[in-house]
Amino acid sequence: MIQPLTDAPRFSLTTGADGLIETQTLEVSIGPQHPSTHGVFRMDCVLDGEEVVALKPVMGYLHRNHEQLAEKMVWLGSMPYTDRLDYFNSMTNNWAYALAVETLAGIKVPERAEYIRVIMSELTRLLNHSCVIGFMLQDLGAWGTPLLYAFRERERILDLFEAVSGSRMMCNYMRFGGVRVDMTESDLAVAKDVVTRFPRFLDEFEKLLTGNEVLLGRTQRVGILPKELAINAGISGPMARASGVEYDVRKVDKYGVYGRFDFRVPVGEIGDVYDRYFIRVLEMRESIKILQQALRDIPQGPRVAPEAKLRNFKIPPGDGYGRIEAPKGELGFYLVSDEGGKLPYRYHVRPPSFVNLTTLEDMCLGHKVADVVIILGSIDIVLGEVDR
Amino acid sequence: MGFLGQGLLEGMVVTARNFVGSYFDKERMVTVQYPEERVQTPENSRTFPFLVFDDDKDPAGSMRCVACKICETDCPPQCIYIVMDRDEKGKPLQRPKVFDIDLSVCMQCQICVEVCPFEAIKMDNDYEKSQYGRFDELVEHLPVLLKSNEYYNKIKPTEATAVDAKLKLEKEKKAKKAAPAGAKPAATAPKPAPVAARPAPATAPVARIAIPDDAPFSPEQRQWLSGFLSAVGGSGAGVSPATAAPTSAGEAPAEPPAAPAAEAAPAAEAPAGGWPWHDPGLAMPQRMDLAKDTPLADKLMAAMAQTDCHACGYDCRGYADAIAGGAESDLSLCLPGEAETANMLKKLMQEAGKA
Repeated sequence: MIQPLTDAPRFSLTTGADGLIETQTLEVSIGPQHPSTHGVFRMDCVLDGEEVVALKPVMGYLHRNHEQLAEKMVWLGSMPYTDRLDYFNSMTNNWAYALAVETLAGIKVPERAEYIRVIMSELTRLLNHSCVIGFMLQDLGAWGTPLLYAFRERERILDLFEAVSGSRMMCNYMRFGGVRVDMTESDLAVAKDVVTRFPRFLDEFEKLLTGNEVLLGRTQRVGILPKELAINAGISGPMARASGVEYDVRKVDKYGVYGRFDFRVPVGEIGDVYDRYFIRVLEMRESIKILQQALRDIPQGPRVAPEAKLRNFKIPPGDGYGRIEAPKGELGFYLVSDEGGKLPYRYHVRPPSFVNLTTLEDMCLGHKVADVVIILGSIDIVLGEVDR
Repeated sequence: MGFLGQGLLEGMVVTARNFVGSYFDKERMVTVQYPEERVQTPENSRTFPFLVFDDDKDPAGSMRCVACKICETDCPPQCIYIVMDRDEKGKPLQRPKVFDIDLSVCMQCQICVEVCPFEAIKMDNDYEKSQYGRFDELVEHLPVLLKSNEYYNKIKPTEATAVDAKLKLEKEKKAKKAAPAGAKPAATAPKPAPVAARPAPATAPVARIAIPDDAPFSPEQRQWLSGFLSAVGGSGAGVSPATAAPTSAGEAPAEPPAAPAAEAAPAAEAPAGGWPWHDPGLAMPQRMDLAKDTPLADKLMAAMAQTDCHACGYDCRGYADAIAGGAESDLSLCLPGEAETANMLKKLMQEAGKA
């Protein structure tokens, strides 16, 4: 039996001590199905008017049991699954996993493979950063234009990935001790072409955005992440550098052959959304520098270390951590091998998106709801990596 | 920065240039009108796997797949299902009876292609696989999966040429190994036996082992087996051929008139002296029966599927030796042999008192 509606008023206005209308906070759940959340991700915002007073990120909608799956699979079997972590940058994911296994098994990677890895991962950085800026601006309301310009450039890089690795996004390209397919001369020529074109696109992109008053107005002094908080929360990648933390795994670890290249690490001052945008533009310019040097110096030689077997690959007991500077930050794989050594005993991913996302509330407090969306866009998350 | 709004205007100039350019500038005309135009996929491009066969007239008979199940085991999402074909007596025929790939599970990672030692499974570049259902319609069976080597050459010329060259080289090597054995029927002929036997000491390991006429082999198996034996004898692969060689070589010239008998005599003692009974065409009990007097390693090898697929990380000989020598403790590595082999290996090791 449905209770009949009472005639009590459904809204009540009470006045506070100051004589003004007393308002209540409102809870708004943004997501999990919302275009601005870049996937299935929910933000439980508590609003006072339009201002955010509390925000809780809710993750786990895209959990796929990646780590447990990997512990039930031979070492090589997890390689295609790492593509699906940060599905935008499969090349760098492959590298991080391969690096961890190589550290653990003590495999030395041939020179040429190292250079190919650098070329691939810097190209990945170019496509990630340009598209992330596009996505962020889409969140800002610049519907399509910057994003599609970025996608047009990304297409050239993806075509190259397809020609080399066979697939555009799920590359599955790196192998323990090297890469799966060698880059031919024509592939290198295409890469050179991409690298010579890219600065032109970047100039155009910057002309479109950097001085744009709307962009400046919406992003400057929004979502500030203080340097201390960035360090304490373990933030890495462009986000940490925008806050003034001079930390780049390429410089710190000098993994691969990064020690040989001349490049700078751009560092921001304030740590707002605009800094995060601009750091990415600068990083793309540095990436182009690295790419030019790598394409110039790439030596001839084998593409994979002979001791790395495809089948029956066993690793002596031990543990190892391999980390690289992925476009989104420090991506690390922690692996433990035990007796037998056919499968990982423990397989842990340290995803940059997940760690960077933890400071979302601190950046959003006091801003409007509309800014939450931009701040989230500037973190650069991919839910495949956050939830694993 | 000049006046307020200058950045906006500059941006609009960029947009306008791109807009106009999208009609005239080839650089900016990037859209492909899909059903009418198609993107030419690069050679390396991959979608789903298919199985290669060599002979157009007999696709099922000339497929390269030997149902060794390496791809089934190594497939990360486990989308391959293989059942080995057997004849009515239960002998494995070294070809798949069932080979299914579930396209809804396959993630196009190409690991099956990389691990296949027979160049039997390759990646297609056909991306138009839409179906009106999502269950049975998306499971590809053997007839659909089989595609000719010409097709493979057409879609991936560079890769296929390299594969063809490699297979040709392997075939030649095999033929070279089989060649001395092919000459042997002449040696077994009764009349010119002494003449033919004369070169035998020079190429001693080759001529010493003969297959008895009543051994249960088809002609092809016989040829293959004699090739294998001469290869084993030639390389002296640890089966004490040195002891077998002098006796048989010494025996053959000693009794030239009774050639058929002489043939039978060394053959009868050969299993004990030198070579494993390892015709995978035989059923397991028969194989074990034939190998019952041989050393442990030979018995172990006889229990295996002997496709030399390297799924275990060795060839069959090497795996058997490694188990017998104690270097390998895992008895379940023989994928093509399935549970039958694993159980037999376990039994043999228990009998030998090692496990």
